Amino acid sequence: MQTTKKERFIGLIDEHKKIIYKIVNSYCANPADRKDLEQEIIIQLWDAFDQYNPEFKYSTWMYRIALNTAISYYRKEKKWHTKTDSFDNATIFHLRTEETEHREQMNKKVEMLQHFIQSLNELNKALMLLYLEEKSHSEIAEILGISKTNVATKIGRIKLKLKNEFLKNLNYETE
Amino acid sequence: MKPNELNEILSAYDAKLDRILSLNSASIQKINLQKTKKKTQTVLIFRSIEVVSFSALLLFLGSYIANHWSSTHLAVSGGILFVFTLIALIGSIGQVTLLNQIDYSKPVVEIRKKIERVNTHVLLFVKLLFLSGPVWWAYSLVAIDVFLDTDLYVHLDPDFVQRYLIINGVLIFPLLWFLNKLSFKNLHLKWVRTIISWVTGTKTQQALTSLKQIEEFEN
Repeated sequence: MQTTKKERFIGLIDEHKKIIYKIVNSYCANPADRKDLEQEIIIQLWDAFDQYNPEFKYSTWMYRIALNTAISYYRKEKKWHTKTDSFDNATIFHLRTEETEHREQMNKKVEMLQHFIQSLNELNKALMLLYLEEKSHSEIAEILGISKTNVATKIGRIKLKLKNEFLKNLNYETE
Repeated sequence: MKPNELNEILSAYDAKLDRILSLNSASIQKINLQKTKKKTQTVLIFRSIEVVSFSALLLFLGSYIANHWSSTHLAVSGGILFVFTLIALIGSIGQVTLLNQIDYSKPVVEIRKKIERVNTHVLLFVKLLFLSGPVWWAYSLVAIDVFLDTDLYVHLDPDFVQRYLIINGVLIFPLLWFLNKLSFKNLHLKWVRTIISWVTGTKTQQALTSLKQIEEFEN
């Protein structure tokens, strides 16, 4: 019975693994922190698994938990973290190529974009991640808990900032 | 940057992740998820102890006031302490309520606000400490009466008591203004930032800064 629940859980994590991977990479620059945050998110998702409300899309629910966990982790609020001694040191996500190779292969613009996202404050970072995932304004509003109008305004502002940042960097490179 | 360029960059990244990202399910299988223990419980235990302690103190002060009803100065002193304890109790009950509402599956902004409010708890005690400055005599009178069974008031010079009451009474208003300023809404003022950081520490100041950021994010 328990195995079934765990397998179901792992299946859902597998299906939505990119969500966790992208959030972890946006909130943690350090690989050791990334590994800890991956584990922390998995635990929080597991703890909340029984209370999953099917009224929401699984991805919406997962985004909320993963973002709330990532922000708490980013703020180093140790008291909110889950304590467990049962983890080994293995990472939960594997990149089929080596991370370094992956980085080299990665498009310069993607790197620039990731760098820009990392420079945003934690709430704007969450907003941008959701926008880049092509979530609708109403779903972003639902995940973050702000109005749809506010989502649109904020996205507009961040995009403008992003555009300037890209132009600045590209001009710098061509000089 | 063309309008679609951002989406194109991301689609390429997404496609790449689809190809190279895999879940180490063996690692998750090994995790004994049943053994996880939320640290939040520890904070909740501390706050619950606060609630029990302040409730006990409140009961004691209530009975102290009732027993000293005929000695106005002692009853008033006990009443002042009662009010401060009641504020502290309400603050601690509020914390327990907030802690019970923290659920990561709720909207991000809502949960951040609750967490940051819990993180700024110490500011309430600092404010109460400042606020009790002008009425510190109430603490002394009650403590000396309870622990040494001595009524200090009858030994005090009436002129001194009168001057003391006037000076401290006048002090209450600027103090209330000052304490009201010590809020995340006034973090743009350098003196507010300095005082908060000095009296409550960096962590509380960070939490207050976050509350300000959340407010700005919501508007």
